[in-house]
Amino acid sequence: MSLSTVPPAAAVALEPGRPGLRRSRGGSKDYVRIGLWIALLLAVLIWSVPLVFMIFTSLKSEADIFGTPAFVPPWSPEWGNYVEAIDRGNLLGAGANSLIIAMFKVPIGLFISAAAAFALSRLRFKRQRLLMGVIALGAMVPIQVAIAPLFQVIMGLNLLSTHLGIILPYIAFGLPYQTFILYGFFRQIPEEIDESARMDGAGNWRLFFQIILPLSKPALAALFILDFVSTWNEYSIALALLQSQESWTIPLALQGFQSQFTSSYGPLNAFTIMSVFPVLIVYLMFQRYFVEGAFAGAVKG
Amino acid sequence: MTSTTAPPRRASRPAVAGRRTRRLARTGFIAALPFLAPALAAYLVFVVGPTVESIRLSFFEWSGFQGAPQEFVGVKNYVRIFTQDPVFWTAFSNTLVWVVLSLFIPLGLGLVLALALNRPLFGRNVFRSMFYIPGVLAPIAIANMWRWMYNPNYGVGVTLAELFNLPWLAEIQWLGDKNLALYSIFAAFVWQIAGTNMVLFLAGLQSVSPEHVEAARLDGANAWQVFWNVTFPALRPTTVVVLVLTIINSIKVFDLIVGMTGGGPAQGTQVLALWSFQQSFTNHEYGMGNAIATVLLVITLLIVVPYMVWTARQEKNS
Repeated sequence: MSLSTVPPAAAVALEPGRPGLRRSRGGSKDYVRIGLWIALLLAVLIWSVPLVFMIFTSLKSEADIFGTPAFVPPWSPEWGNYVEAIDRGNLLGAGANSLIIAMFKVPIGLFISAAAAFALSRLRFKRQRLLMGVIALGAMVPIQVAIAPLFQVIMGLNLLSTHLGIILPYIAFGLPYQTFILYGFFRQIPEEIDESARMDGAGNWRLFFQIILPLSKPALAALFILDFVSTWNEYSIALALLQSQESWTIPLALQGFQSQFTSSYGPLNAFTIMSVFPVLIVYLMFQRYFVEGAFAGAVKG
Repeated sequence: MTSTTAPPRRASRPAVAGRRTRRLARTGFIAALPFLAPALAAYLVFVVGPTVESIRLSFFEWSGFQGAPQEFVGVKNYVRIFTQDPVFWTAFSNTLVWVVLSLFIPLGLGLVLALALNRPLFGRNVFRSMFYIPGVLAPIAIANMWRWMYNPNYGVGVTLAELFNLPWLAEIQWLGDKNLALYSIFAAFVWQIAGTNMVLFLAGLQSVSPEHVEAARLDGANAWQVFWNVTFPALRPTTVVVLVLTIINSIKVFDLIVGMTGGGPAQGTQVLALWSFQQSFTNHEYGMGNAIATVLLVITLLIVVPYMVWTARQEKNS
């Protein structure tokens, strides 16, 4: 998962709690539960401090930021911060770059990974487990190990600061993790399905396109979403390969804005909020894929 | 499985359709190649190639500029980073501190949260979400949020100091103090990663059999005994996965540090991944940068390869 800041969400679909937990007979259990609940509530409140602080600041005028305590809500919201962030930070241009890159990287990368995982799990050839191991190893090695020579490769191809020049390495660095997860998923599909398909005269390609891929829709959907998020968030490869400001993705634009307008706290926080907005939307739409861990892999091993 | 496989054969021709059903199961490498080729090509060109090249370059002196000569210097780069580069050792020990701390704090926190939120509680899904959300945000965005929180003039510390009348709290330079900055950044890392660990542990907890827990309870075990004797052993595979993921994620920590301090003040928050990057790209010391990258690679492999062999063995046994 070299590419992912997003974790491999877990294996099993989490059941909504153990059913039929006994109702406590005495009152003491209830106290424990209430105590636990209050502790969790406090923890959540602490956990939300950075987000609340950011949202408040993004809506305050400069005078309010300097003049009022941090946790006083912005009673008269200053939406101008958002306008300023969009104008000065080239947010739309960077957003378009990020979107184009993700739109190509995610489906193509997923398709290539699925094809490789199909060969590794449903066809038989020598040393295939070793090959899977070598590919999976790529998911564990830090990107920074290869980044300087990677820069030379992309420069040699004359693709620095281009969409293609970042999509290709993104696909490559996303492959190991996705192939590994799909390999695990494909192997759970019963072999009898292959056999009966082959009896009907299906070749490898038909087996892949008409049987294995459709059966794997849940895993593919989950990987698609996770991969979108990690592609959107990726910073270090982009930092090395996207040199010109016009080619910047959202994380680079955010960092650029931060170093250029260090003390424009309102617009900077507005920029940060807008930069995470697409990911938050995706998260809220597909929450179960994340928190309920709708797909397999890491934990099941 | 491979031991019974015949040597790679050509893809079966339609002409031998009669034997197809038996043979297609082992079509050989040639038939698999079209499916593997795009992935292997991308992997070789952009991942394996640069990694090997990075090892090669670690034995050369080079500015990184095209056309500039690459001079073979043997192990000189390694001698330099180990004996003459104080920043390397700062980066090394900071990385080590980071790994060790993350094995305790975010991991323990994730486990505790998972145990608490595995019970039926009012608003449980909201709780889970709130802890998990930082995990989907870009680290660079998190870095900017926390940088603002640590602002010495208008940040959270100052506000709390005024609120509780604690002047010393306002004095703390969260990111400006060389000895403190690493831990301040680490706090952001905990915030980012604890929810992820929680989700992994929650998934693992689903494999704990309720019957066993119930049986232990009936035998008079208290909550701690149930956890230690029933829950924890069942969580062992999950714990190993979380441990390995934590170590890997800690070794490559980069974005948070770039976004909050850039390695400063006075290299106080320098880590290996960042120092390698800066040596190559900022200081144009490709040899040194790639030597550090190679050290990073070796450390990673020392952790990951035994783990993968162990997993493969487990799989075979089961």
